[in-house]
Amino acid sequence: MKMCGRQTGALVRVALLDLYRRKDLIVVWLLSLVLLLPLAFFSPFGISGAGRYLNEIALLLVWLFSAVIGVGVAARLFPAEFESRTIFPLLAKPVTRGRIVLGKYLGALAASVSALTVFYLAYGVLCGLRQSVWFPVVLFQAFLLHIGFLIVVTALAMLGSLMMTPSANLTLCGLLIVGMLVFGQRLPSLIAAQPYPGKAFLMLVHALGPHVEFFDLRQRVIHGWSRVGWDVCAVVLLYAIGYAAACLGLAGWLFCRKKV
Amino acid sequence: MGLLAAGGAVALGLCLPRVFEGSMPQVPGEDVLHLVLGDARQELSMALLAKADEYFHGGVNDVACGHGMTSVEGAVPDHDPAHGESCPEHAHAHEAVRWRDPWAWINGRVHVQEHRHLCNDQATELLPWIWAACRASPQNAQAYQTGAYVLARMTGHPEQGVRLLEEGHRRNPEDAGIVFSLGEMWLTHLHDAARAESWFAAVLPLCRPAEGAVGENDRLLWVRALFYLGYLAKQRGDLARARACLAEAEAVFPEHASVKDLRRLLQQ
Repeated sequence: MKMCGRQTGALVRVALLDLYRRKDLIVVWLLSLVLLLPLAFFSPFGISGAGRYLNEIALLLVWLFSAVIGVGVAARLFPAEFESRTIFPLLAKPVTRGRIVLGKYLGALAASVSALTVFYLAYGVLCGLRQSVWFPVVLFQAFLLHIGFLIVVTALAMLGSLMMTPSANLTLCGLLIVGMLVFGQRLPSLIAAQPYPGKAFLMLVHALGPHVEFFDLRQRVIHGWSRVGWDVCAVVLLYAIGYAAACLGLAGWLFCRKKV
Repeated sequence: MGLLAAGGAVALGLCLPRVFEGSMPQVPGEDVLHLVLGDARQELSMALLAKADEYFHGGVNDVACGHGMTSVEGAVPDHDPAHGESCPEHAHAHEAVRWRDPWAWINGRVHVQEHRHLCNDQATELLPWIWAACRASPQNAQAYQTGAYVLARMTGHPEQGVRLLEEGHRRNPEDAGIVFSLGEMWLTHLHDAARAESWFAAVLPLCRPAEGAVGENDRLLWVRALFYLGYLAKQRGDLARARACLAEAEAVFPEHASVKDLRRLLQQ
């Protein structure tokens, strides 16, 4: 058990180091500053006092960058190992293939969550300074559910990395995430309006697709709505863990059958 | 070498419109954004205006609400936020959805399903989107009118509203709606009857209503402008002018409330 934890820990550490070595975070930070700083001093029609637009754009950037980091990190873990053939020494070690998948997944997740924590801390400080509202409960819930989002998308990207080429994986993951964020909430009404066979396809997407829109609390944070019930938060996080477990189970099965 | 190439490009850019004057697809005075985006600018502008409307409804879109930004006086909580929780019919429906479609149930719980309007003291939150809508497409007259309404009525800056409408008028000189809004703004917010009258008078030549339902908006604007012109004429004692306005309005839209109001005003 102790050995198991040490092996997984080592794999997590490698993924974390990989993110910070590539300086992705610095690029993302600079980009955010370039976009947000001029907007922070903007007063339309010479009237100051508007702040929600800035919160909206800041949170949009947080979502965009966290998705890019999460999917990017998870999608490139295995292909890079196969390409540089470093997978062979790894497989030669006394570690099961299932544990390699789990360790790499946890590493990708830890790296993405660490970046997300930095983003939310910066967002919380920005809001506190501008609006004197310091880390409300709904922001904490938004952060928690955002972790749920990363749990799902990193598992999805990892599964895709064992099934497709990296570019196809990134494209498909991107389309799925954006598609579900935009249309996920409206799927039931779209299903009702569609004739067969489109209806059957949409029903399948609704039943099996990753409902990443569950994790999006931006509307509540930006417009000062009340927090979500903790029971709903728990259900959504359970959904994330269940979905990720299914993806990882499939990824583990694929990796075990893969001829390297 | 680079500078030479850049200079050559600029010179070519300056020469081409002169050499091929009249035979180029662009209209003189159009900016780069217009050339690149074309009609997409109007769509972008409408999307930004829709975003402002979403902000007015507390960030909730797809709201089945009859109140637009320009038709409600401040915050009107016309739906009890706790209604869904307390009403037994709603509670039963939510429970049914929970088991029939759990994903829709979660979405309904995570995303706000309530209905509220922005208070007047928070109306500044709408301004960035309206500003962007006006800049995205100067041909979007609705953006200018909505912006002026928000500035004058909701944030208490009628001077800024007039400035915005004047900018809209400069860019859309043929739009009767903007001219009419300018008249209303001068009359109701800045209390300058003389200027308001000149703007209302300017509405009339711009209203060229087509036959049937297509010309409905122009006819309404015409009648409303005539109402204000008649009202202002009565205020300064020019009854002949007021009666002329009433006669013209009766010919255009005899059953309209403004015509009835003007008739009643002149009978007093």
